[in-house]
Amino acid sequence: MASALARHWGALLIFGAAALIPVLVRDAYFLDSLVLILLWGALSAAWNVAGGYAGQVSIGHAAFFGIGAYSAALLGARFQQSPWLGMLIGVALSLVAGAAIGYLSNRLKGPYFALSTIAFSQVLLIVASRWRGFTSGSEGIPVPFRPGFATLGLGHVAWVYLALAVAVLYWAIQLWLEHSRFGYRLAGVREDEDAAQALGIPARRLKVIAVTASAALTSVCGTLWAQYVGFVDPFYVFSVDLSVRFALNAIIGGMGTALGPFLGSILITSLETYLRASLSGVKSGFTGIYLIVYGVVLILVVRFVPEGLAGLASRLRARWVRANA
Amino acid sequence: MSAPAPGPALLTLEHVTKRFGGLTAVRGVSLEVRTGDLVGIIGPNGAGKTTLFNVIAGYYRPDEGRVTFDGRDVTALPAHAISRLGLTRTFQLVKPFGNLSVRDNVMIGALTRRASVREARADAERVIEICGLGPHAGARARALPLALRKRLEVARALATRPRLLLLDEVMAGLTPTELAAMIDLVRRLHAEGLTLIVIEHIMAAIMRLSQRVVMLHHGEKIAEGTPREIASDRRVIDAYLGEEFVLAEA
Repeated sequence: MASALARHWGALLIFGAAALIPVLVRDAYFLDSLVLILLWGALSAAWNVAGGYAGQVSIGHAAFFGIGAYSAALLGARFQQSPWLGMLIGVALSLVAGAAIGYLSNRLKGPYFALSTIAFSQVLLIVASRWRGFTSGSEGIPVPFRPGFATLGLGHVAWVYLALAVAVLYWAIQLWLEHSRFGYRLAGVREDEDAAQALGIPARRLKVIAVTASAALTSVCGTLWAQYVGFVDPFYVFSVDLSVRFALNAIIGGMGTALGPFLGSILITSLETYLRASLSGVKSGFTGIYLIVYGVVLILVVRFVPEGLAGLASRLRARWVRANA
Repeated sequence: MSAPAPGPALLTLEHVTKRFGGLTAVRGVSLEVRTGDLVGIIGPNGAGKTTLFNVIAGYYRPDEGRVTFDGRDVTALPAHAISRLGLTRTFQLVKPFGNLSVRDNVMIGALTRRASVREARADAERVIEICGLGPHAGARARALPLALRKRLEVARALATRPRLLLLDEVMAGLTPTELAAMIDLVRRLHAEGLTLIVIEHIMAAIMRLSQRVVMLHHGEKIAEGTPREIASDRRVIDAYLGEEFVLAEA
């Protein structure tokens, strides 16, 4: 037990702090940032299941995010149904789409796979923005706010705990991938597909399962995000920017590590929030400057800590343990 | 050699042919390997040795012919299914799981026969000891020197508990000491009852190890026999060994 606590001290610190903050702080702006950090972290964790653990790097995960967002928003706005039902439908659709994309990963490798995922999300963008009769097209759809847990009409504090629950669940799923039979064999597939097959591992099936699961997990967060923000804009939810964000948080935080996506999200989300707030007043020409900072952070990480913040943390910890030995 | 006497047919190839466009890499090769055999495959570069392994292990589907393992037609089975049946291979260009430890590499092989990670880990420790990788169990696979990566290749395959193991040039590029250790390892595995097919360029090794040697040339089996028969076979000398080898052996 004590060793488990020691091993997961980082997660304990982060999730523990997230649980305490709403008790101590009531500032809506701060709590809003916290919800977003947790949600973006969970989304990157979902991406990490395919990109980090299975080695199937997608730049089209916004597709599944958008499916989740639209499923709930449309069901709520058009049919007055609970977003939880919408979440289930989104998951079902994403399972199908994810299996199709996962199957594709057996035909297309590396950059070709990544490109095909972009194409897939762009196709969904076109459908969502042109099918005016159903989706309201490029205007987007407002998500009706109805107070209550069943309708996901929650206050900031409740949202923090809901996002935290999802974040911890996704973290635990990744941890399972590091210690389970399935996870070890998936790591084998990621490292070398041919060698994995020689060891009796059905590599293709494992990849499809990982990508499909990743899609479903992404979709769940898409629904939550839409309910939280209250508006679904096709050009945002299906954007390449968003797909890149899922990947970047995980890469900066540490691909294929359970805590990495959350570390990346803490850094990038707070940096973005801070820069947007502090630079927005300066000059209208500076509104996009956070993108430049984004790029600089990425370059620095890839150059100096290619294993990500999680790798950096364990490296520093090892040094500290040695120094105190 | 104190190896057990060969038993019933374990692997049978019947007129196996594999073409790549206009090139016929393997042409009409038939072969029978019986339980307890240690068969060597020799031949010049491009003779089709590795292609033959790829066909047997399920990486390529042959254009013609049939592969039977343990009485079962495996010609159309995918590689992972064949491995599960107990036929596995190593790769000439080693393919370690580079970012994982030696221990995890071997354990992933053991997981094929084990439902729990704990049991697989225990299996892996045993195989690691047998292969002399004990001192390196915690090292990252990609950090190992070539000789150890070759040994890891064998260890990982062994962890799947094969009945037939295909070794693709696991001795190439080793120093004399490393070579002796590898020959010793292969001998021990064979003595314990494992059936092996070994592709090798190092004639001294293959002559000492094999009970039977098969010579491939331009994708065809041009000779098969005991090491002594092969070494004196005119076609083998012309195509592969050269006169110097015969003189040196004499």
